[in-house]
Amino acid sequence: MHIDARTLPNGSVLEADLCIVGAGAAGISMALEWIGSPRTVLLLEGGGLEYEPAMQDLYRGEIVGLPYYPLQAARLHYFGGTTGHWAGFCSPLDPIDFDKRDWVPHSGWPLRRKELDPFYARAQPLLELGPYEYTAGDWQRRDPTLVPLPLDPRVMWTKMWQFSPPTRFGARYRDAVIGARNVHLYTHANVCELEANESLGAVDGLRVRTLDGKQHRARARYYVLACCSIQNARLLLASNRRTPTGLGNAHDLVGRFFMEHIEIPGGHLALALSGPVNTKLYAFEFGQTKARGELALSAAVQRERRILNGTVSLEPGAPGEVAKSTFQWGTPERLAALRKWQANGKVGPPPDGLPEPAPAGAPRFFHLVTRQEQAPNPDSRVMLSTERDALDMPRAKLAWRLTELDRRSFRVFYEVMGRELGRSGVGRVQLLDWVRRDDGTWPGTLSGGWHHMGTTRMHDNPRLGVVDATCRVHGLDNLYVAGASVYPTGGAANPTLTLVALSLRLSDHLKRALA
Amino acid sequence: MDRRRFLDVTATSALVAGLPSSGRATNADAAFNLHALAQPDLLPILGPEAVREIGVRYRELVPAENQIQALRAAILAARPWSSRVPWLAGPSIGAMVAEDFAAGRTIVVQGWVLSTTEARQSALYSMLAD
Repeated sequence: MHIDARTLPNGSVLEADLCIVGAGAAGISMALEWIGSPRTVLLLEGGGLEYEPAMQDLYRGEIVGLPYYPLQAARLHYFGGTTGHWAGFCSPLDPIDFDKRDWVPHSGWPLRRKELDPFYARAQPLLELGPYEYTAGDWQRRDPTLVPLPLDPRVMWTKMWQFSPPTRFGARYRDAVIGARNVHLYTHANVCELEANESLGAVDGLRVRTLDGKQHRARARYYVLACCSIQNARLLLASNRRTPTGLGNAHDLVGRFFMEHIEIPGGHLALALSGPVNTKLYAFEFGQTKARGELALSAAVQRERRILNGTVSLEPGAPGEVAKSTFQWGTPERLAALRKWQANGKVGPPPDGLPEPAPAGAPRFFHLVTRQEQAPNPDSRVMLSTERDALDMPRAKLAWRLTELDRRSFRVFYEVMGRELGRSGVGRVQLLDWVRRDDGTWPGTLSGGWHHMGTTRMHDNPRLGVVDATCRVHGLDNLYVAGASVYPTGGAANPTLTLVALSLRLSDHLKRALA
Repeated sequence: MDRRRFLDVTATSALVAGLPSSGRATNADAAFNLHALAQPDLLPILGPEAVREIGVRYRELVPAENQIQALRAAILAARPWSSRVPWLAGPSIGAMVAEDFAAGRTIVVQGWVLSTTEARQSALYSMLAD
């Protein structure tokens, strides 16, 4: 069932067993799990079914700290959420990502990778991926021409990604959600405040506003925030009428530990192996490639060198070329053009900016593009701005901040990789000037990957985390968080697969709670 | 290897290497003739111009080796002991390069992570090609 909240009489009360706030990858993944169940589900989406500039403007925010991408362009505020412009990169976190690492302050998840494995497997079909197989050997068995580079696994390995078509959740699952009798999708229903009960031990209801001035209320037995890392934190912080610091924020953790993946070129690889070298396993063509590998350092090397996790992709190029970072390539204008082209059925030539076809012949020179974990940092945070949006809600203020560990990890990765690729005879690695510098600075091309994580981090101890291992907000009996905001650390894998897996896990938990 | 350690090793190597360059060269040394040493495997990988620039930069970074004989001596001195015994087959220069990488005997020149042996070879190339 679908209702535009603007068509409801002012002051309507929406009620269900479960209320999910936000219809992106996390929210829709959860909602799909409840179709046909005896429970009723409210799915509240602030935007409409399609992109609308006025709705998108609600995501505009202030940026302090390191330069960042415009917030209103980094996420999408309509049914389907940011899957409306994601590229489809999927890979599970590595086992070491869940460990408490003594060289990474605030690291450690309250669950292990093997506990997530069944949910990763369930997430694969939702994202229209292949089987839950993520070793280079798995893919080489399927296609013998996918050959990993001859690296010493004690030093480096090939971490695999699978590629979603990419699944645009809004388009792919619209009919399923709208056709479900027990899932009530309300669009243009912006949740502006979570109201706690008298004892502040549970959520009593949600204030919902529309841009045309209507106010409604939503009530349920359980609530799930599934907006996105910035919006989840913003909403908790802005729910401050009865608790000045916001809900779930007794220990000043909400909004802190904002993390990104540092996505930026760091060097070059010139192949040394004689003759044509098969690097097909590492190649990527948007919309075509099903799986590819990236180069990663082993867990043993990470431990020995006391560095963060990260991977490097091989992008064919030529000496003298300057590779672009993610933010440099994906300007807001370019993303908008791509979104429009896709919305129009990809009719006509693609807009400027789609990846060029690979040059003929086996490439021998590559740009090395890093995707590195960011160290959890309490000073990297989402706060409330003094500016308010059209719904009178404080806008988000983002302070993205990196640490010395982030910078050192980047440099050490390239040094170790240079030695291993030299030792194995694969080739020679060149570090960009800024990577070699020892002054702790980042280049002007510094970029994330639009991967927002960590603002409601998971920890068993309420003094160290906003949610517990079930994703329930500490101190609130019926409020849960879905999405990458619960990640204590972000690993080097794109966040979508993991956040969908966690959403399915949360859904199972809530089904047991409501049974 | 950090820069300081690299320089220490280089200085020691230069002393030891005085022997073969002063007329006591062995048969094994002959396999490492100057012409062969000045043709690093980097040439087909990076091209002559890049290798020449690496060589010039290396000589700036390690002025103690800014002479043909000093470079050759440093390369010869870095060989494992077995290759200095005339009747034993020594490693190829390619094997020395691989062993440098495995042992961490690397240096960053012009941004390239190079084995110290091939960096010295590049320096020789830059001098002989000038």
